[in-house]
Amino acid sequence: MSRLPFAPRARGTLRCAIRCLCTLSCAATLALVVACSTWQAPADFSTSGLRERAQTATRHEIRVSAAVLSAEDRRQMLGVELDKTRVQPVWVEVQNRTAEPLMLLRPGTDPDYFSPLEVAWSMHGIFAPAANARINAHLDQLGFKNPVLPGETKAGLLFINPERATRLLNIDLLQRKTLIPFSLFLRVPDDAGEKWFAEGLFQPHGSEIKDYDDLAALRAALERLPCCAADANGRANGDPFNAILVGEFADIATAFVRRGYRRSTHPADALERAFGRMPDAVVRKQSQAGAPATWVRVWITPMRFDGHSVYLAQVARPTGGRFAPREAQNLVLHEDVDEARNFLIQDMMYSAGLDKLGFVTGVGPVSQAQPRTTFSGAHYFSDGLRAVMFFATRPLSLSQVQMLDWEPYLDWRQSPARKEIDDARK
Amino acid sequence: MHRMVRHVLSATAVAAALAGCASQPPPTASLDYKSSAVTRSDGGLRVSTAVLSAAESEAVYGVPLANRSIQPVWVEVKNQEDRAYYLLSPGLDPNFFPASEAAEAFFSGAPQDERTALDRHFRRLAFRNPVAPGATTSGFVLTNLDEGFKFVNLDLVADGRSRHFSVLAIVPGLRTDYHISEVFRQGIYPPQDIVNYTDDASFQAALEALPCCVTNEEGSRNGDPLNLVVVGGLDDAFPAFARRGWRGTEEKWSGSIMKVVNSALSGERYPYAPVSDLYLFGRAQDLALQKARDNVHQRNHLRLWLSPMQYHGKQVWVGQISRDIGSRMTVHTATLTTHKIDPDVDEARSALTQDMAYSVTLAKFGFVKGVGAAPQSAPRENLTTDPYYTDGLRCVLVFDQTHTSLAQIEFFLSQGIYENGGQPPGRVKP
Repeated sequence: MSRLPFAPRARGTLRCAIRCLCTLSCAATLALVVACSTWQAPADFSTSGLRERAQTATRHEIRVSAAVLSAEDRRQMLGVELDKTRVQPVWVEVQNRTAEPLMLLRPGTDPDYFSPLEVAWSMHGIFAPAANARINAHLDQLGFKNPVLPGETKAGLLFINPERATRLLNIDLLQRKTLIPFSLFLRVPDDAGEKWFAEGLFQPHGSEIKDYDDLAALRAALERLPCCAADANGRANGDPFNAILVGEFADIATAFVRRGYRRSTHPADALERAFGRMPDAVVRKQSQAGAPATWVRVWITPMRFDGHSVYLAQVARPTGGRFAPREAQNLVLHEDVDEARNFLIQDMMYSAGLDKLGFVTGVGPVSQAQPRTTFSGAHYFSDGLRAVMFFATRPLSLSQVQMLDWEPYLDWRQSPARKEIDDARK
Repeated sequence: MHRMVRHVLSATAVAAALAGCASQPPPTASLDYKSSAVTRSDGGLRVSTAVLSAAESEAVYGVPLANRSIQPVWVEVKNQEDRAYYLLSPGLDPNFFPASEAAEAFFSGAPQDERTALDRHFRRLAFRNPVAPGATTSGFVLTNLDEGFKFVNLDLVADGRSRHFSVLAIVPGLRTDYHISEVFRQGIYPPQDIVNYTDDASFQAALEALPCCVTNEEGSRNGDPLNLVVVGGLDDAFPAFARRGWRGTEEKWSGSIMKVVNSALSGERYPYAPVSDLYLFGRAQDLALQKARDNVHQRNHLRLWLSPMQYHGKQVWVGQISRDIGSRMTVHTATLTTHKIDPDVDEARSALTQDMAYSVTLAKFGFVKGVGAAPQSAPRENLTTDPYYTDGLRCVLVFDQTHTSLAQIEFFLSQGIYENGGQPPGRVKP
């Protein structure tokens, strides 16, 4: 057999091997520089400072306290310098005054959390086995350990992906045939940025609150909300408001966190205005290889339903998605906003937090042939519906989601976009 | 005419035929997948599904989807119930591709009118929700590419109701995996060798009597601890893994090794990497699964062997799970590289238990002994000389077909045994 056909692969392999060796040697040199073979675990660390600023909540005889470590805490407690843009250590204490053991479910806090020894491995130096072992042992004992037995109080660190300014910490505690979720809002020390999160999440600004107690009245009110965001000058041709979230903010946040959404802002978010202000919160689904993915921008409204907050939201994804060129910085709205909305609903079905689902009008149908143009220059089309999702605290299974008999939701079947496809088919 | 448009036009004819237009020419050879579709029924729903090979997907979509690691799954749902059903794409693959996004994978260099044609073609082929009462709907969900086999998990929800279907699809192609279907039929054991446990105490005793660890091929050296027991099969356990993003791994072969190396260099998430063979019951693992995280350095992987045991008639799989936290050089494998595993192997075991709590079909879990404790001060080594330590427990996960909520998960077997329970408290002052 001729060897010729394999030559290109062999050349590719060689190039790859050379690249591999170069990378490894660079990494090795760096590691040697960084590694400190004389590393010693820091002296015992007092948690009194953490306790002072910790947020605490108690529910069903279980008390949870948590605080994000400051740079000083990280230095004193961990004894290693962590890349704060990659890992955020959070101190958590759980006191169990029930008669059953508890298990903290880490994927409920961050589906992409890090194990203590994984964090330790990133700190290891080459040719420093003794020091590496000390780093391992130290980080390992700092990690939060399950279970929390009846009568016990346990404290430890969770190593999770960072959030800025305000850490929205979800703690799911599993007990036999029970789940007790906690949501805490923690200040991130040493971070003065992103002031506009958490200010508007709980209290609507400047307007009188209108409370609705029946679904029909709520539906009518939701349909009267503006179709789209305004720009800073009040001109209403921003992205469409294609979703409504009803529930306690903590329950909504829990559902999003469980499905891999993290708070993450982009300069383009701040251009979109509702009630004269920028979004109160923005979350983005974490997609593969850090590619940009679906965003959800949220504003609290001056409405309440059955005592719960009502949030107005934009759901969309950037053009290009996971296939956008790596260097692309601009996030341009993808025209099919209904698709992003529909897949958000499906994601929420698996969050265990979605209680009810319905659709209302309000965006106004827009055909693909005559799309709307936003003030940012993006185009979109839509069936004109907004999805209304109601969230609950108690965990729900897939078979417990109630579908409201509101606007019939027929995907593309009756939408202008669908009609065009049918026409094109003829 | 641009080649892509020609492809799309020819594929449009296929799609129209798929959609059931009587006036179209009869289906071509590229529709073979439809004839080999697997059909299941539950209540008033009938579901058929097929996973497309690379050639079939190119024939239908007009572009080489497999080159971008995209694999269409064809689904047809006939609804004879009184309410509309919605098929949930994240249940097939939490990292599935929306049709419009997959189309964008082929936009590079194409003029606007071709992009529009491609986008419309992809969206026309997509599965459309909902499936109204009395209706039959079919279309494609675009998932990440699996070679050999694929767990197709179909979750359908309606007002206050849900239905679930699960199929092991053998993917036609170069590395079609026929062994796996034999394993799932438990055909590797003669019926007289299968022991069905119906009381927890004897089941626990049998699990604790299993070997501590996997071995090398000769059985002469112990490797990673057998710290995992999965009870269930195609209808309950493996759908749970699919919902949480666990997927089959490639066999070791040079192509995939190079993909891993490239992935390691670029730091990209390569969801699909080979694992080396380990041995139990005198054979290499029946099944290896992994869950990719941010990049190739970070993944959890597990190997499972079907045992001759059953628990209340359900299959019992025994296995090993560890967390990869990086890559390193080794002289103990033919490829000279191996994954660096987290020495705290119990952490990977808890990570899986906790992950499965969110899988919708975990019914109960517990812990049994059998691994033998290895304290941090005296760690053991696996076959690639990675040290590990453990509390000596194996985790037992029992799955059920019923969709359950997080508030319905039962603990069992673990009277007085708690994971990590025996560890000394950390140095953090109370």
